[in-house]
Amino acid sequence: MSEEKFDVIVIGGGPAGLSTAYFLAKKGLETLVIERGPELGAKNVFGGRIYSYFLDKYFDGWRNEAPIERWVRSERVSFLCKEDGVTIEYRKYDDIDGFDSFTAFLSKFVSWLGERVENEGASIIPGVKVEEIIFEDNVAKGVVAEGEKILADYVVVAEGVNTLLSEKYGFRRMHTPEAVAVGIKEVVKLGKNLINERFSVSDDEGVAQFFLGYPLNIVKGGGFLYTMKEYVTIGAVIKIEHARVGDTYMREIVEDLRMHPYIRRLLEGGTLVEYSAHLVSEEGFGGLLDKPYGGGYLIVGDAAGTLLNTGFTIRGVDFAMESGRLAAETIVNAHEKGDTSEEALSYYKKLLDESIVSKALRKFRNTPKFLSNERLYTTYPSMLCDVLRRIYTVDEMPIRAYEALKEATKDRVSLITLLKDLWAARGGI
Amino acid sequence: MSDRLSVEKRLTLVKFVIHEEPHITIDPEKCDKCVEKYCTKVCPAGLYTLNEEGKVSFNYEGCFECGACRIACTHGSVKWSYPPGGYGVYLQFG
Repeated sequence: MSEEKFDVIVIGGGPAGLSTAYFLAKKGLETLVIERGPELGAKNVFGGRIYSYFLDKYFDGWRNEAPIERWVRSERVSFLCKEDGVTIEYRKYDDIDGFDSFTAFLSKFVSWLGERVENEGASIIPGVKVEEIIFEDNVAKGVVAEGEKILADYVVVAEGVNTLLSEKYGFRRMHTPEAVAVGIKEVVKLGKNLINERFSVSDDEGVAQFFLGYPLNIVKGGGFLYTMKEYVTIGAVIKIEHARVGDTYMREIVEDLRMHPYIRRLLEGGTLVEYSAHLVSEEGFGGLLDKPYGGGYLIVGDAAGTLLNTGFTIRGVDFAMESGRLAAETIVNAHEKGDTSEEALSYYKKLLDESIVSKALRKFRNTPKFLSNERLYTTYPSMLCDVLRRIYTVDEMPIRAYEALKEATKDRVSLITLLKDLWAARGGI
Repeated sequence: MSDRLSVEKRLTLVKFVIHEEPHITIDPEKCDKCVEKYCTKVCPAGLYTLNEEGKVSFNYEGCFECGACRIACTHGSVKWSYPPGGYGVYLQFG
């Protein structure tokens, strides 16, 4: 048995765990990050975008060293139908400010983050799985990893969305099929020049795109696309409650999406280089843990439910990292007093409540319900295509927009329902 | 790229470090009683398949460790854990 003792053990080397370790090590606390993957990033999956403000605030010089793929200068939303589609683009041209988010591979990003953490003096051991948290008198005292005890004054649980340890110790219950989605991602190598031409961007400029409608209408899911330097990531996010019913197989749905004529044209000539999947929380504020702390331990990132989907932007990495920063601040304070009590660590909850993470999740607390309206995925994308198809399909006599709308609405949705949904959008997104 | 790729083909693109012990097991008794067979639909790697007798069979090699099957199963048949440290899926572009 090892007699080594750390100030803090962090379980999980993702964005939240590494952020915690970074801020702890900066204050001189002896910190150990234990990561089950063979190296940092091997188990991380996300769509493809990180918001920069957090890194600007706390990571000097990061823009010159982080694995930034492209700066997102084009935001697109597409409503796809079987044979046509509607795309809305918001585009930043030339020198307009706002290099505020970039595309990346999370695997490469956390690997870079790990270097920064080690530079601050923390230790990271990959390839080791934590099996247990050691409790004495209801206070976490360390972990058991590969049969070996490693002791620490504080334990930070950064295990991600699959909350196995948290469930084991009663910190939270298992996610329900309504609360989480499966995100399935494909990475296509297309090459810089083809990406620049097809997406109408220059070398450092990138695209972030969401898809609603066909073929994901069947499973009431959404799609995404992000342009990297040489690659394009494309994927589908489908709630488990919808993924598991019907005749559609999740292994095929992402291919259905890639085969859509719109996307097929974008990716023509590319080569698939990787395929992966990960769970995504869909709960928003409702999924944020009421008590992300206890004697000797704190819970951060996805494991604490910090992810926010506003309907337009997904705040994953930045919120996870902010929760880690707040956990570190809590531990630094408590450590000065030599206090590992639940009461001392409840300060984390206070910080979290006052932080952008909790405030934003609260602000968008009605969004998950709004986004669970099936018509967003089925009726409305097809209706939108229908309206524009009627307007732009010219057959001698032109049609008024109102007529087209009336025709497209018929048999799809009642006026009352339409107005109700519009009204719900007020508080929803 | 205009060709549709089978999941088997797509899985050959992913690096896995396979451990001899399966990290996920299913309870055949519970699976035999199950009519929904949700696992066969949700698994992005298509690792849950129905054999000729209509029974669920499962192969842990090729698992993304995403956890979808654990959440989807209503019968508590999926005994789910992560592979031992250093094993399992090894992503380059996650």
